Parts: sequence; C-alpha cells; structure tokens
Amino acid sequence: MENEIKPNKVVDARGSFCPGPLMEMIKAYKEAKVGDVISVYSTDSGTKKDAPAWINKSGNELIGIFDRTGYYEIMMKKVK
Amino acid sequence: MSSKILILGDGASGTIMANKLRFLIPREDADITVLGNSPMHYFKPDGIHIPFGLKMPRDSVKPAKMLFNYGINYVQDEAVKIDVNNRKVNGKSGKEYDYDYLIIGTGDRYTPEDIPGYAESALHFYDYNSSIKLRDALNNFKGGKIVIGPSSIPYQCPPAPYEFTFQLDQYLRNRGIRDKTEIHYTYPLNRAFTIANVSEFVEKYFEEKGIILHTLFNVESIDAKSKKVNSLEGESVDYDLLVLIPPHRGQQFITDSGLAGPSGFIDVDRYKLNYGNFDNVFALGDATNLPVSKAGATAHFQSEYLANRIAHEISGDVYFESYDGAVACTTVTGPGEAITLYFTYERPPRANFNSKMDYLLKWTSADTYFSGMVRGIM
Repeated sequence: MENEIKPNKVVDARGSFCPGPLMEMIKAYKEAKVGDVISVYSTDSGTKKDAPAWINKSGNELIGIFDRTGYYEIMMKKVK
Repeated sequence: MSSKILILGDGASGTIMANKLRFLIPREDADITVLGNSPMHYFKPDGIHIPFGLKMPRDSVKPAKMLFNYGINYVQDEAVKIDVNNRKVNGKSGKEYDYDYLIIGTGDRYTPEDIPGYAESALHFYDYNSSIKLRDALNNFKGGKIVIGPSSIPYQCPPAPYEFTFQLDQYLRNRGIRDKTEIHYTYPLNRAFTIANVSEFVEKYFEEKGIILHTLFNVESIDAKSKKVNSLEGESVDYDLLVLIPPHRGQQFITDSGLAGPSGFIDVDRYKLNYGNFDNVFALGDATNLPVSKAGATAHFQSEYLANRIAHEISGDVYFESYDGAVACTTVTGPGEAITLYFTYERPPRANFNSKMDYLLKWTSADTYFSGMVRGIM
C-alpha cells in the first residue's frame, strides 16, 4: 500500500535521538497543508511508540510504520 | 606564528572556552578574543529557586568582564554575520574580525512571539527579571489553578520545569495553600520527560503529590481573556497562574549567515563539534542542534574536549579524544533532597535515589560555578 502513496514531505531524522524525530514530525505537520502526507525516517526505536501516540491524540491519520533497511519510516496524513 | 582564536558569546559557553584555552595555550602561541555585550553573567540554574525566595537574585550574577582570566581580549561587541569561507566575522560596531579558529557559543534566545497570547499572559523563570516577576506573582497568589510546562522542545535545562514543580508543591505546603491549589503539568511528549526512566520517577512523584499531568501538549496559543492555554493537539487547560517556558530558537544572525535553518541551531559533528566541512569552525552549548540537553554542564563537558583539541593542534601535538555526549544535571526533588543524572550518547541516565549530598552540591552550585567552573579551572 505504501508504494502507492507519495509523501509531500520527507523528514530524514535518522541518527537523531528521541524526541528529535517526533519534534521534526510536528514541525513538518505545522508547515503542511491539510491532506498532505508526511514521512519520517527514524533509527530511534522510541519514535515507533511516540509518533503514533501523537498522531492519534492530534486527530490525524497514521498511514503506517514500515521497516526499511537500517531504519523505519512513519507515514502520516494531516487531516486537521 | 601566533594563531587567532575568535569566540562568539560571553555566556557560559564562551567564557568557559576562553578561560580553558588561555590555561592551555601560551600567550605567544595564540590571541584569544571574545565578542560579547552582556553587562552581567547570570547563573541560570538559580532561576528555579528565586521565585520561592530560596535564593537572593544578587547572588546569582557577576559582572561579565570580571570572569575572564588574564590574557583574554574581551571586546564589547556582538557578531552580526559570519563568513566561514573567508574566515571573517562582522560585529554590530562595524568592525570586522578575522580568525584561524572560530568558536560559536552564542546560546539561544526566547521567542515568545511564536505563541499568540504569550506576552500578555505567561510567566517563567528562565531569565533574571522573569524569575523576580514570577516570585512577586507567587507571593500574591492565594490559591487557584497553576499550569506549568515547556511550550515546546527544545528548551534549556530539560529537568527545570519538573524541578520547579517539585519546589512549587513544597512552597505551597509551607504557605498552607496547597489544598487550595491545583497544579497541572503539561509536556509535549507522551510522558513527563524526554527520557523514559526519568519520566517514570517524575510521574510517580506527581502521583504522590497530586500533580495532574497532561501529555502530548505542544502549546499553540494562549487566550489571555478567558485564561486558557491551548495545545496543537486540541486540548485546552484553564489557569489562574501560567508558568510557561517560552519557545527557544538559535540566534537570528546564525540563520542569516547560512549556518542554520529557521530554528537557528547549528548542525555540528556530534563527536568533533565542528561545523560542516570546516575543521576550524566549532559550536558548543545551547547554540548547537545536538541531541543533548541545552545546559551549562553540556557546554562545560564540550569545552573540556574542544579546548584540549585546539591547544594540541596549535602546539603541533595530536589529539584523539572526542565529545561523548556527556551531560549532568542535579535537581532538587524535595526538602533536603536532590538527584543527579549523568548520561552520554551511549549511556542513558539512571534515576535511582535522592541524596543529601546531591542537595548540597546543588545548593552550592553558583559558588562552584563562579569560583571554578566558569574560570576554566574545573
């Protein structure tokens, strides 16, 4: 499914420790338009828990968490 | 040939670096110039205690120029532009400064303007005057709802908001108005602190003391009229007294010089502290974008590596050490008790126990800082 979606913004937060990736995602969210898809690349395992919690609380949509080679990608859609 | 070392900033980072370098490098081998325009050097950790009358403000400041060791050229000027390709810095005075080594220790700045309503409604304890203003507001407080938190991440001294909250709880008990006061704590993440095991300790304390925690709360706006603080995530909390750490950014001239994006924080090598491909341009302390606490202790550990590296290079020696991400902070947790956290990039902190020794360490930290640390002795 993820191959069909092209993010409007990719945040490469690999190598950054918690809470860096989440804060980068929030920064990208603030700058994005409703309907935009944001992808965050992270190597910090904590982001797997923190980012979905934030996406859920803020009422946005988690498209998925995908394992990549040496990192993972969190994809979200700004719905509000 | 004598090297020219130019240091930008006369706060903790710039002053410690200059003093350490002067100890390590003979005067004939290097000129050390510091650009800064602070009349006073403020020991910021005292800002947590001033609002409760636990520290007298006058004990937390010293004239900035008195803190530089002999042989340092301290110039009352402020950098407005850096040209790393041509090794030049322009000062506000119109003067131009050239260098062989550039060390950026210009810290960060508060940007309350990033939050609508902040200026009319929020108090904080992150600078000298604001701590005194908050002291007076607390003195007049008779009970109600106090909301505390950082508005966003990053901010200086990550434990400071919870340390302030611990002390506020005790202060209100001492005044006999704790039962008339609700304390609410907001935090941008889904826990009470950035680091999970410290967070467990803080949350346990909050539960014991009846402090209400609101997680995933990134402040978006404040409605001063209806006294509500609103989060980006869609939550609103009412307040009678709002203690909100303002948003932080790096210095504007860093962004204008092309050394950082809009955040103003400089990307440096996490182990070597140099900027980009330049092996003669460094940043330390709050000015960097490193994933470590923005704290004086960070600048102190970084300066230990950086001053030694530059001194070795100038003398023709080799130096293989690097900065390992060391940070330490001591926070007061209750009457006569404190806890010290020490961590590096690879080693998370352990929050195991409170101790009297840590409390004494914290209580004498301004004296230790002004008499030893900032002088480059420790």
